[in-house]
Amino acid sequence: MAANKELSSVYRLKYKKGEQIFKQNDFGISIYKIVQGGVEVFRECEGIKIPIAQLGVGSILGEMIFFLKATEIRSASARATEDTEIEVWHPMELLKEYEKISPVLKVIAKQELNRLIRMNKFMDNLVIENQMASAESSANEEPWKDKRHFYRKETTLPCTYELVGSPKGARKSARGMIKNMSMTGLRLDVFSKNETLFPHNIGEVVSVKLVLPNGKGFSAQGRIVRITRNDYIASLGITFSDLPDGGRKVLGFFLLPGQERV
Amino acid sequence: MSVDTSLLECVASETVYQDGAVIIEEGSKGDWLYVILEGLAKVKKRTSKGMVIIDTLKEGDVFGEIAFLEGETVSRSATVVAAEGPVRLGILDKDLLTRQYSEMSPMLRALMKSLAIKLRETTSRICSTLVSLD
Repeated sequence: MAANKELSSVYRLKYKKGEQIFKQNDFGISIYKIVQGGVEVFRECEGIKIPIAQLGVGSILGEMIFFLKATEIRSASARATEDTEIEVWHPMELLKEYEKISPVLKVIAKQELNRLIRMNKFMDNLVIENQMASAESSANEEPWKDKRHFYRKETTLPCTYELVGSPKGARKSARGMIKNMSMTGLRLDVFSKNETLFPHNIGEVVSVKLVLPNGKGFSAQGRIVRITRNDYIASLGITFSDLPDGGRKVLGFFLLPGQERV
Repeated sequence: MSVDTSLLECVASETVYQDGAVIIEEGSKGDWLYVILEGLAKVKKRTSKGMVIIDTLKEGDVFGEIAFLEGETVSRSATVVAAEGPVRLGILDKDLLTRQYSEMSPMLRALMKSLAIKLRETTSRICSTLVSLD
């Protein structure tokens, strides 16, 4: 890496192929624009590498931190995939300008940012679920020991679920049976006739509520990512999109392998 | 959720779409921005296994912003459909927004544009992952 300082707020840096530009969870507020070369952006979640983007000349890195302002921790890592030159912008002047832009553009930027955060989170869970499925198919005798992050617990737990986003008056909930659960999602079997109450489509967000065997209530929101149907049962693969910290903890305890014996 | 005042002040006209009506079609040209004043809309994307729902939008949510922020040359990244009853929309004053957007410094504009590009790419990646799940 070689710095060539041209201006106090904008300067250029060079990275060799394979060099890390920044790391997830690092503190940093600078914005980067790729002037030459290419950059790979990825996130690591539950020990799994989640590719985010392959960026080329003209692409920007670090815009999320800029709009988040309060949080200055990088949400992803970036690495040069070839010899790369980037322009580094210090955000101070830009932040001052941003404060003065029209309120309506600010609202649009804020909504855009929130949507991106939500989609990134969903993508994380989806990739983990996907890897979990392939890990299970390559059957491991000690799943907990070797593939801790992939652990999925078989269960039979009744629950209620409903579509998120339905108007309050029209909100309908239905019952189903949870067949397995993991930190990233669950499988929910429901009677096919439930589909007459509200549509069960891939991509729909549902809210699931249940009581765990230890008496603790658990609720989470997730997206339907898979549906298999037979004559009477629709089996829904659900990936969590919103799991509050409290719920995460409760679920974590429930998934501990020793819990059946307690 | 209520509609932000600055959005209401920017509404140039209003329109109503009946349940199931397509407001924006994926792949079409256009960079109008809308805000939902009442009702719900679903955001969908075409995949090799049919339409996939990406998001549900509610009162106060703006949509159509990706094509606007990225520039007129790009096409609509997703389809938006009125859901669960009629939806009342405000069409935002595009001339005003375009002027305000072009008055921003190229750097700040690049940051806004980058958010839109990332959102478009992430939703595409979600769709291809969903398709590969079965």
